[in-house]
This record gives sequence, C-alpha cells and structure tokens, in this order.
Amino acid sequence: MTGKGRWTWLLGVLAMAAGFSMMVAAYGAAGTKHQAATTKPIGTLRAVIDTIDYLDPQQAYTGQAWWAMWNVYETLLTYKHVDGPAGYKLVPGLAQSLPTVSRNGKVYKFKLRKGLKYSNGKPVKASDFKWAIKRGFLAQGQGVGFYTDIAGAEAYSKNPTPGGNIPGIIVNNKTRAITIKLVSPRGDFLTILALLFAAPVPGNTGPEIQNGSIPGTGPYAFSNYDPNRSFTMVRNKFFKRTRFIPRGTPNRIEVSLIGDADAATQKVTSGQADYSNAAIPPDRIADAKSKGHLVLRQTANTYYFWMNIREAPFNKLKVRQAVNMAIDRKAMQTLVWGGLGQATQNVLPPTYPSYKKLSLYPRNLTKAKQYINQAGANGAAVKVWTRNVTDAVTAATYYTNVLNSIGLNASLTILPRATYYTTIGNVNTHAQTGWARWLEDYPHPLDWFDVLLNGNRITDQDNNNYAWYKNKKTDKTIEQLKKQPLLTPAVNARWAAVEKQIMQQAPWAPWSNRVFPEFFTKQIGCIHIQRLYGIDFARLCRK
Amino acid sequence: MAEPATDFTLDSAALLAAEEHEVSIVGRSPTYLAWRRLRRNYVALFSLVVFVLIVACCALAPVYAHRIAHTGPNEIHATELVRVNGKDRQVVGGGSYLDPKTNQFVVRGISVLGPTWWHADGRFVLGSDALGRDVAVRLLYGGLNSLKIGIGSALICSFIAIVLALIAGYFRGWADWIISRFFDLIWAFPVLLLAIALGSALQINGFHHFGINIKPGSLWIPLLVISYVLIPYIGRPLRGQILSLREKEFVEAAVGQGASPLRIMFSDLLPNVASTALVFFTLIIANNILTEAGLSYLGAGVQPPNPSWGTLIASGQDQIHTAPWLAIIPGIAIVLTVLSMNIFGDGLRDALDPRAKVRVEH
Amino acid sequence: MAPFVIRRLIGMVAVLFGVSVLVYVVFILVPGGDPAQRMAGKNPLPANILNIRKKWGFDKPFYVQYVRMMQKAGNGLIGKHGEYDILTSFQNRQNVVHEIKRGIPATFSLCIGAGFIWLLFGVLVGFFSAVTAGRWSDRLITTFALIGVSMPVAWLAVVLRYFLAEQPKKPIFPDGEYVPLTADPVQWAFHLLLPWFCLSVLFIGFYGRVLRSNMLDAMNEEYVRTAKAKGLTRRRVLLRHVLRNSLIPIVSLFGLDFAAVLGGGAILTETVFDLKGVGWYAAQSVGDLDLPPIMGVTLYGSFFIVVFSALVDFMYAFLDPRIRPT
Repeated sequence: MTGKGRWTWLLGVLAMAAGFSMMVAAYGAAGTKHQAATTKPIGTLRAVIDTIDYLDPQQAYTGQAWWAMWNVYETLLTYKHVDGPAGYKLVPGLAQSLPTVSRNGKVYKFKLRKGLKYSNGKPVKASDFKWAIKRGFLAQGQGVGFYTDIAGAEAYSKNPTPGGNIPGIIVNNKTRAITIKLVSPRGDFLTILALLFAAPVPGNTGPEIQNGSIPGTGPYAFSNYDPNRSFTMVRNKFFKRTRFIPRGTPNRIEVSLIGDADAATQKVTSGQADYSNAAIPPDRIADAKSKGHLVLRQTANTYYFWMNIREAPFNKLKVRQAVNMAIDRKAMQTLVWGGLGQATQNVLPPTYPSYKKLSLYPRNLTKAKQYINQAGANGAAVKVWTRNVTDAVTAATYYTNVLNSIGLNASLTILPRATYYTTIGNVNTHAQTGWARWLEDYPHPLDWFDVLLNGNRITDQDNNNYAWYKNKKTDKTIEQLKKQPLLTPAVNARWAAVEKQIMQQAPWAPWSNRVFPEFFTKQIGCIHIQRLYGIDFARLCRK
Repeated sequence: MAEPATDFTLDSAALLAAEEHEVSIVGRSPTYLAWRRLRRNYVALFSLVVFVLIVACCALAPVYAHRIAHTGPNEIHATELVRVNGKDRQVVGGGSYLDPKTNQFVVRGISVLGPTWWHADGRFVLGSDALGRDVAVRLLYGGLNSLKIGIGSALICSFIAIVLALIAGYFRGWADWIISRFFDLIWAFPVLLLAIALGSALQINGFHHFGINIKPGSLWIPLLVISYVLIPYIGRPLRGQILSLREKEFVEAAVGQGASPLRIMFSDLLPNVASTALVFFTLIIANNILTEAGLSYLGAGVQPPNPSWGTLIASGQDQIHTAPWLAIIPGIAIVLTVLSMNIFGDGLRDALDPRAKVRVEH
Repeated sequence: MAPFVIRRLIGMVAVLFGVSVLVYVVFILVPGGDPAQRMAGKNPLPANILNIRKKWGFDKPFYVQYVRMMQKAGNGLIGKHGEYDILTSFQNRQNVVHEIKRGIPATFSLCIGAGFIWLLFGVLVGFFSAVTAGRWSDRLITTFALIGVSMPVAWLAVVLRYFLAEQPKKPIFPDGEYVPLTADPVQWAFHLLLPWFCLSVLFIGFYGRVLRSNMLDAMNEEYVRTAKAKGLTRRRVLLRHVLRNSLIPIVSLFGLDFAAVLGGGAILTETVFDLKGVGWYAAQSVGDLDLPPIMGVTLYGSFFIVVFSALVDFMYAFLDPRIRPT
C-alpha cells in the first residue's frame, strides 16, 4: 500500500467511525434497550419468509408480499414506523399532509409532495394515483372491492378499459392535487387509501402482472425476482427520507421464500439466515429461544371455526353453542402454537378500541353433550374443512376430535392452500364447518363485521361470510355504523354490542388471537417491530 | 455338471434344481416341485413368517388400542395426566403463556410425553405425538392402513392386468392394439406425478361417477390410484408371455376344437402364466407399500388424521429435531415389511421358475 | 429404418396427446378449482369474476379451452410473451415454460450425477456379486442390495438429512438447497452429495440384482460354454461375453429410469432436500391443484419418457442384431 493509499484508507476508517458514532448516538437518542456500543452496520440482511403471491402492488394480497412491498411502494397515507399500538397511526406518505375531508364525508383532497421520484428516476405524477386505481380494475386485481365506493368506480368495474374514466378521481399534474369523491361516506376510507393496492405506479405500466419490475417510491427497490425461490431488495437511489418514512439500515435484503415453517426456523437456528417470520413449530420454541432473539409481534388477528348456519346440524343454535362450550381454547394455544397465542371468544382482536372481552361460553363438556342431545344432533355427520398448512391442519384435527367427543360424527377434509377459501366460499360446496382466520387489512371494525359477518354481503361465490350468517338486527346496525366517519367511544360501544349479539348466535367459535414470532439470529440487534407490517428496517443493526 | 461348484452356477435355486436331477421327479405336479424347492429356502420362509407376523400385529391394532392402550388412533389426550412409574405426567405440557400481570408472553418450550415402555400400564408405550395421540396405536393402525393399501392395490392391479393381458393376448388384433396403447399411455406418464395428481384431485370431493361412490379421505382413493398407475408394469410382460403362448400348438388345437374363448383363457392360458403372476404379485405388494409411503408423504395418499406409515413419516418429520423416533420408527416398519416381501418374492420366483425375470419399477 | 422412425414419431405425438387429455380431464372434475374465482382473490366483485372468465376464456366449452391451452403451451415454447398468449399458472400467473426451464439446472444436476453413480455402482454390485456367487461377499452385497430396494426414498432422505446435515453441532453436509454449478463447482457437488446418494440407493440395489441374475443366466448359456471350451480366460469370458450381453437389459432399464427422473420424477428427493427443480415444481403445482403447470410438467416428463423409450428400442436393435426395430 502506498503512503497516499494508506492515508485515504485511514480517512475512510475515520469517516466510518464518525458515521458509526453518529448512528450510535441516534440509537441512544431513540432510547432503545439494545446497547449500541458494540453495534455494526447491518450490511446485507438474509431474510426467510413464506411464499408470496405477487410482487405487484395492485395484485398482491398476502401479508408476506406486503411485508416486502411496504418498503418499496409508498401510498398517499401510510403508517408510523414505531413499535406498539402507535404503529396504527395514519401519517402522510406521498401526500404532503393528511387530506381535507368535506363535511358530508364524501370528498377527500390530497396534495402530492414536491419532487417525488420513482426508483427509475422518473417523476411521480398525480395522475399515476388514478392510473393505479384504474389498473387495479383493468387487471382484475384482488383489492378492487375496496374502491367501489369511489364515484363511477362501480360502473367502471363492469367494463374497464384503459381509456375509460373513473369520474370520482380528479387529478391535476400541475398542482399535484388529487380529489376523490365517494358515492356515500365511508368510515374506513383513509385506511383503504393506505393499502398497497392504492400505491401509485407509472402511467405507462400495463395492466398485466409485473412481479417486482414496477418502479416504486419507497426506500428499497426489487431486483432478481426468482418466483417461488427468492428476491432481493436494494436501495432506491432516488428515495429521499421524510419525517415519517425513514431510510432502512440494510444495504441489501436477500429474501428466500420457504413455505415450510420448520425449514424456515432451521435456516435461522443454523445461521444460514438472519431472520424468519415463519411460525415456529411448538416443539422448537425452546431451542429457538436459546439460539436467537424471539420477538413477538402482536397483530390484529382472529382464528376461528365457522359453522354454516344454513347447514344441518349447525342450523340449530344449541349445536353451535355446544361447540363453543366444548373447545378447550387454552389447550389449543399450546398444541397449535406452543402457547404463542391468547384464547378468545371474541370476533374482534383485543388491539381494537371497540374490543370488549366476551366470556359467553365457559368450557363445559357435559353441558355441550346435553345441548347436542337436545338438538337431536347426536351422530350427525359433519365434514370439517381446513387448508393444507401445518397449523390449520393441527387446529382442525383437534376440532374434529372435539366434535366427535360431544357426540357428532366428524371427519376432516384438507384442501390445498390455494383453493381453500374459494371452495368453502362457494354456495354449492355446502361446507358445514371448518377452520378460518382473519388478519386485518386495515385497523377498522368494518374490516371484520362488514366483510365477515354482514348478511347483506353474502355472495354465492367467493363469499367471505363462511358461516353464511344473516341476522336482520345485526345487519342493520352494521349498515348504520358503516356511515360513521369516526370511531368515537359511543360508536365503539355500539360495535361491541353488535359483537355480543353475534356471538350469542354463535356462528363462529373463535379460539385464538395469535402472536407472530419474529425470529432473529443472535447477531441482529436494534430490533423494532411495526404492528401492521412486521420488522422495521429503519433501525436494524448487527452486534 | 462338469464345472466346479465355485464357478458360475452357485445360485441356491440352481443348486436345488441340480439336486432334483438325482431325485425322481417323474409324476410330480409342478406345484409340488415348487413347494419342495421353496421349503428348502429357509431365508424365504423366514421372511414369510416375518411378513405374516407384521400383518398379524397390525390386524390386532384395534384389540391393542382398546384393551391395552385404551384409546383410538385419532384420539387426543393432550391435557390428560398419565401415571408413569407412579408419577403423574401431562401428555403435552409446558408451552408459552401470557403472564396476566405484565401482559407479556413468557416463552417456554413444550414437553411431550416420551416413550413410557411398560411403565404406564400400556398407555403411550412409544410416547405421544405433538397432539397428544398414542404413537404405538397410530403405528399399528398406520401399518394396517399401509398394508390394506399395499395388498389391496396389488390384488386389484394384478387382477386388471391379468384380465387385460388375457384379452390382448387371446384376441390379438384390435383388442391387443387398444390395450397396448392404454399400457403405453400410463407407461409414458411420470408415475409418481400421475399418482399424486390423481390422489390430490380425488381427495377433495371423492369420486362420484359411473355409479361408484367414494368419499374423500377414503382409503380406496390411494388404493385405486396405486393400482391404476401400476397396471402396465404387470400387464406388459404378461401380455408378451400370453401372446407367445397363444401361438403354441395346444392353444391353436383348443381353438380348432371350438373351445370357448373364456375356457381357453382360463384353463389353457392362465395356468401357464399363473406362476409369473404370483411372483409379480408378491413383489408388487412390496412396491405398493413404498409407493403409498411416497404418496402419503406428499399428502396425496392417506389423509390425516388417519395414520399410515407414510403420513407418520411426514408428520414425524415436523418433530424430527425433538423426537426423531417419530419419523424413524415407521420407516423401519416399512423397511422390514418390504424387505420380507422382497426376499419371499425372490424365493418364490426361484422356486416357481428359476428363469423368470421381474421388473418392478420404484 | 425410416418407417420405424416415422412410426415412433407418430406414436410419440399420440401418447403425448393422450397424456394431456388425461391430465385435463382429471382436473376438470376437481371441484373448487374454478380458476376465475381463484384469480379474483379474497374480496372480489362479481363483475370481476365475469371479466376474468371472459378474458381468459373460462366461459368457453371445455374442448375449446383444451385446444387453447395447448396453443398457449406451444406459444410459450417458442418464446412468445403476453399474459393471454402463453401458458401461465392460475396460482401466480408465472410463465410455465419459464418455470420449468428454471428448474432444469437443479433437476439435471441431480439426475446426471445420480444416474452416473447408480449405473456405475449398480454394475459393480451386480458384477461382483455374480462372479462371487455363493460366497459370503455375494451374500453381503445381495443383502445390502435388497435393503436398498426396500427403503422408502422420502424416509431415507429425511433421516439422512437429519443425521448428516441438520445436527446442531458441526453437520457433515450442507443442509439442502441447490448451488449453481457455474457459481461454485465444489459447493455444487458438496450440496448434491446426499441427494445423489438418496436417489441412487434404490437404483443401485435394483440394477445390481437384475445384473446379477442376468449374468448368472448368461453363464449357463451355450455360447459362454463354447467360449470357455475354446480355452478363453475366465476374465475374458466374463467381460467380453457374459457382462456385455447382460448389460443390454440394464441399458434399457437405465434409459427409462433416467428419463423418468430427468422428467421430474425425483419428486421426493427434490422435495426433501429443497432442490427447487422440476420435480419440486411439479409437487408444488399439484399441491396447489394448479392445472397449467401440472399440464406443462406432465408433458415435459412424458416427452422424456417417450423419447428415451424410442432411443432404447433403437439401441437395442443396434446392440442385439437379433432384434429388429418394430
């Protein structure tokens, strides 16, 4: 090494050290528990996640894809990069500020931030937002159902063409203004705009699926997408951080897609990966805890068994109540997730302000058997449906055993993961009962009661109301509450009342609010978890 | 027999055959001669005994389950206490829990009851699985299912193959053409792929066509799928044999005398291929048990919660890091069963026809 | 010769056609497999499903859909693009031809390596047990060969992987996955050693047994006796006459088995060891009941099988002049 070279080198080291200490100071200021004295930059993060459907904002509808896309595609509004319940707070993303909403709750006005660029260097236009919504309809994307309340969207959905118009979205590229008009007020509309389906894409993006090749506006960009195997996230050169959207610390995130939870856990325990968010098999939790950091993420989810109120024997209230009484919810947490879940009898998860704990069905096997007898359902044949994923099979196996123990004659049917929901949601299947779960799309009670238990929204195909639950009283309340723009304590109390009414009818047997393990090797530190999307890249470090 | 014994011909069957030259075999039936040869093959006989023992054990699964283990193959006992060596132990215990004081989760591993051998009055002799089911009971019931599928599909498969081969070989011409093309078609399929595709497709709603009603989850599905995909493996060589028999004088003579086709097929042709078919039959049982294991491992065979050796391997794999025996034991059971059937099949082949060559695909 | 080739070609096309029809029929009967509903996703509009049906032609009669599917497969093969012009998966709309191509390096690496191993060791096992027939070495080899053919592949793979590659302290072998040959030849081989072994064990046992019995038969043939009577050395007789003639059926066996694994038949080995090859892709697609990739993989596999059986027949004719190609 020449003298000059050495000097440059030394200078580099010094600069790095300076950078380091600044970062350290930043962590200290943020008040993190992890000692910053020994931290190093993270460099490349090797992550393992479950398989994804698409890497296309208008198409992807899996938590795993959103996990990655949240750092690639920004939306007008987004969520805070913080731990705990504060992560539910909506903050401006691409928009300059939160929108102004008209008094009747039907008109939303946004303004895009100045100088926004995609990862290919092209400017972001207001019309790109409109194109993204249109593209969703054109591509028959999975999320279009959320946007039909925009004026003219319903008509556009019938026959979408690239040249067609959704009159309810008015954009002006010069002033960067976006105005959205709704047909009727909708209390959850802001959260719907924060969904990745509404992420703007360049106006020349075709409607066909483009996995990972559409330029985004977030801190990272996709590269090397190898379907079913892996993809990589690299820094977006054109990204500028804002108050709400920080840069990530990893320079590169290499993501392996592994569907088998056991294999994913093995990758981290053997040091072949830094991070996995797969379920940890119950028998490996102790091992995982000793070999790495096991951080638990509390998200809004409910795992439940639905009972189709149209099909015998579940058309009888007594049978549905008996099932609710027979399930040992505590034992199920241990068997299915090694205890990483909370027993529940509610529809809503406890993270909601509307949540009010219900205990309508204390466990009582004798009474459950009596109820079955009284309903004359002894020996009734029951087909339990579930999907081919380890935890769902385990839960449904237990459930089948319970049904048999109270006098029904139950058998198990396991469907492929891909066709499960379309099969049980089809009226011709006449599915009696089975496993299901709901993970929130956005934090609002409507995402639960309206989608899953509103009798007016029952469809013959792709029905989300697997219990085919229809009740005049509750349907009416849901429709009324839908129009409330804000979740005031009074509104929340009314939601809780609806929930109680529904659970008295027992179309579901909810059993768990699961916590999701985020599993890191010992080398990873400064771990922060965003409630909605998981691991927060903004502060991760290596020890 | 001028050659030294150490040279080429020291095969047990060949030896036995050589021996027979010195004994009078005049007037003995071929069956008797075969039996005589088989009787001397102690290894093959021993294997047969092993196989019969395994079958008997599995057939007694219900008795074991009710009388000794006091449970069924799918019954869950996770929260129960079992008295092992005078101490009460929970079948599936431990696990993480939410501490109500701090509202934080306390992360703990779970503990599953290991083998109790004879210390728990016959309950959980081989321990429990992660759901609290008795592994020994599931192993026996699993064997019962695997054997039902293995033997049942071998029966059906051989039966169909023999009938098709007889028709093709006797009628020749267009019948032979159609049947041969049918064999070609299945033969050209990647076997395991066809089997898992058929298996998983049928598992969803069962099969309800042509007056046949099979429920999803029924054992009949893997059984029939396996028989179906392996038909050409027996049918093809048998057809060849029958075709050449058909040209023999005694068959032509029978045809000339106006014997009915059925009669010729069953009293002239069939007895002459019976020994080959029998050898195939034993070897294909072994093969089918292996195929069942593969199918069930991929989730296209026996459907959970019902056990089979294949599904036990698949579910045991999920716990291999904490309880490796769950995956290992059913595998050993398969190896023992298949090995005994293979050895016996070999012995049978040597005894029936020292020259018959069998091709079984794995 | 020409008629033979033409006849075989027509036969091949006919068989491939039959195979595709069979797959198609099986999957048309599957309930809940309505691809339009699947594509529409979790929260669709009724209009959405109708649009998808129309656009993808799911409203057409099944034979039209079949023809269309075959056309699409052809388009994919010749490298056309466009969502509606090529065969794509219902599940994630990936180009099926593309996906199969992606799987080929792993599958070929697995199969060529394993094929080499099993042929070599199969012949060695058969040969040595045949020439030492009756001695303890023969008994030992035969016993091992028998155990080899009696093992469920999935089980062997699971157990080997656990004991040799997943032990917490210093595993001997790397844990699954495929490393491209071009990236690192040493790691490539190292990662494939266990899968090669697993895939080979069965075939080694099987070939060894077949070769042994073939050789023992051949030793009693007239021409071998003649050769010996003429005073040729034992080694010469064994290698030149006995082994050579006994290898002919092995060649035919090898051709078919090799074709089957190349065509994605090593599903179990690929699945257990995370080798994301064609067999793994097939298993995934079957797990998703995703018709287009299943169709693609089946045709791909069948193609290898029919081509290799034609090759085998051809080679038979070449090696054994008594047989004429028919």
